[in-house]
Amino acid sequence: MLELFGITKRYDGITAVDALSLRIEPGGIFGLLGPNGAGKTTTIRMIMGVIEPDEGEVRIFGEPFSERIKDSIGYLPEERGLYRKMKILDHLVFLGEIKSVPAGVARARGKKWLERLDLGGWADKTVESLSKGMQQKVQFIATVLHEPKLVLLDEPFTGLDPINTGIFKDIIEELQQSGCAVVLSTHVMEQVEKLCKRICLINKGKKILEGPLADIKMQFGQNVVTLRFSGDPAYLERHPGVERVGTFGQELTVTLTAGTDTNLFLRHALEGGKVEKFEIGEMSLHDIFIAKVKSEGGEVHDEAIQGR
Amino acid sequence: MKLFKVAKREYLDRVRKKSFLIGTILGPLLMAGWILVPGLLMKNAPESRMVMAVVDLTRSLYAGFEASLDDTLSSGSKMFVLRNVAATEDQLDGVKKGLSAEVAAGAIEGYIVFPPDIVEKGTATYFGKKVSNIRTLERVENALNETVVAKRLAVQGLEYAKVTEMLKRVNVETVQVLKGGEKASGFEQAYLTSIIFIMILYMTILLWGIAVQRSIIEEKNNRVVEVLLSSLKPFDLMAGKIVGVGAVGLTQYAIWGIFAVGISSYALTSGQFTQYVSFDAVTIAFFVLFFVLGFLFYSTLFAGIGAICNTDQEAQQVQTPLVMCLAATFLIPLAVMQNPDGAFATVCSMIPFFAPMLMFMRINILMPPAWQIALSVVILSASIYIAGIVSAKIFRVGILMYGKRPDLREVFKWLRRA
Repeated sequence: MLELFGITKRYDGITAVDALSLRIEPGGIFGLLGPNGAGKTTTIRMIMGVIEPDEGEVRIFGEPFSERIKDSIGYLPEERGLYRKMKILDHLVFLGEIKSVPAGVARARGKKWLERLDLGGWADKTVESLSKGMQQKVQFIATVLHEPKLVLLDEPFTGLDPINTGIFKDIIEELQQSGCAVVLSTHVMEQVEKLCKRICLINKGKKILEGPLADIKMQFGQNVVTLRFSGDPAYLERHPGVERVGTFGQELTVTLTAGTDTNLFLRHALEGGKVEKFEIGEMSLHDIFIAKVKSEGGEVHDEAIQGR
Repeated sequence: MKLFKVAKREYLDRVRKKSFLIGTILGPLLMAGWILVPGLLMKNAPESRMVMAVVDLTRSLYAGFEASLDDTLSSGSKMFVLRNVAATEDQLDGVKKGLSAEVAAGAIEGYIVFPPDIVEKGTATYFGKKVSNIRTLERVENALNETVVAKRLAVQGLEYAKVTEMLKRVNVETVQVLKGGEKASGFEQAYLTSIIFIMILYMTILLWGIAVQRSIIEEKNNRVVEVLLSSLKPFDLMAGKIVGVGAVGLTQYAIWGIFAVGISSYALTSGQFTQYVSFDAVTIAFFVLFFVLGFLFYSTLFAGIGAICNTDQEAQQVQTPLVMCLAATFLIPLAVMQNPDGAFATVCSMIPFFAPMLMFMRINILMPPAWQIALSVVILSASIYIAGIVSAKIFRVGILMYGKRPDLREVFKWLRRA
């Protein structure tokens, strides 16, 4: 449905996206994940044909990108943009029309969507009279109004309260079930852990990990221990099987080298202090990302990682 | 066509704005005021009686002076009410004192003194409370002038009426020869008409061209552009904007046209307007044609500038050379007037930057050969096409560039690559 063949984009000598290849099929939400500045937005803009790759090729529905294809794609850009003085419904109709939806149809669908997102009473208000969150809903409606077969969502949840985040997730789920391919790009990896079926992690324009989320978790999750520990975290690192200790609030995330016996590690921990919680299991995507980048000798800027 | 959806939105958005309404209505009102108010003033201003004393020290001019000041008010009564005050030179000071008191009391508007040597020296003095009513005083002066000149002529044994008859000016009428007919028009008339139309062309091309530029910068800043480009070709967006804004300009013209017809039909009856300005269907057709071409050419270039700038201030710097090109057109018309068919005028009217205004001017003054008009239109159209391609390329790359404005070298790089 969507294929990228080694696309590359450079700006002033900086390589924003470096020979990225991907294959995205309908069914299941595809997560394009990475820290700020990893090249997610540039990748999506190249898919959308908003900018052209310096090298490589984008194929959508099996054909090279063309203007005609734009009508079957929905795009929610990271930087939201609407005409501030326009009335909401008129604006939706306009955005529908430039996706080749007849004005009447666009109007009817726009009304339906506004009702669903609790904006029914706002159809004749101007965009500028809406709150940021409301504007985002309008922008989201514009993304799906023309019933696209491929939807690209760049940071769709920023600025939304938990209730609306939930509504958005429901709608994205519905889209996916109706056979639409959904690509979701975000730096807040926890937000999409439960949503995405497949993911691609990118850092500094390069793909560092790709595959079904379940497989990735399986591959990485075996040797991670989460514990609440009263002693000195540095003590834990003295155990030969410990690769790394990360702190998350009250809890520690300990990555063990492959083949380390978790029982032996627990015993080690008990000798150094009080263990209130000990859990063997899943590594968060964020930890997987850090582990992967580190194992490849890359640097991780803590500021760039906003997973919690 | 998506281009027209963009144009439609742009058009409706602008036409519904209050500023459009104000600009469109106020424009013709000012125009109407400009044309009609002086006429109305001239008609209505001196509608008041003027009571005046005349001290004629020559004792021979009063009768003639009174006879030539025979203006009447609209009520039919005399406008100038004169009183002859007899006095000798010795009595003058006393008489003046008395009359000045009368002026101060408001019994008379003022008084005029004809000195004994007025026929030789040609100077009289008016004393009045207010010396502001220039038109009335001018009338008084003319009457006195006529009287004194008649007196001088009489001394030489000549009759005033005969002499004025002999001195009557000769007028040369100019007739513009058109294919299939003649069109009578004064030279000044053609010049004035041209200048007025060129002014309108200049202002509207500049106004709407910059409107395109500003709207692109605005969309870039509020990031609508990215949403639009995910649905449209950059060219459709740019061209849609230009078409939409251009349609607004034409709408404004149409409204003004209706006003102008209304005003001129009024002015025709009062016989003032057409003395200076003349236009007909052919002029209007060429005017609209050259507005459309000129607007397309300039607004396309303005669109390209808008795409590489982030703020209006930045754009003002970049657009300066372009605005200068447009303004330079005003330096040329005089040369065109002197020799509308000369090589200089002909060449200038082919250069796309000047063509819209100069070719229109030439058509208005002295119809150039059809092939020259055609060539000018073809060159202009080709330039629009080239400007369109260049601007669309710049637009495509520049529209998503935020931050530093690219310099010329970078822009050329884009052009080569895009």
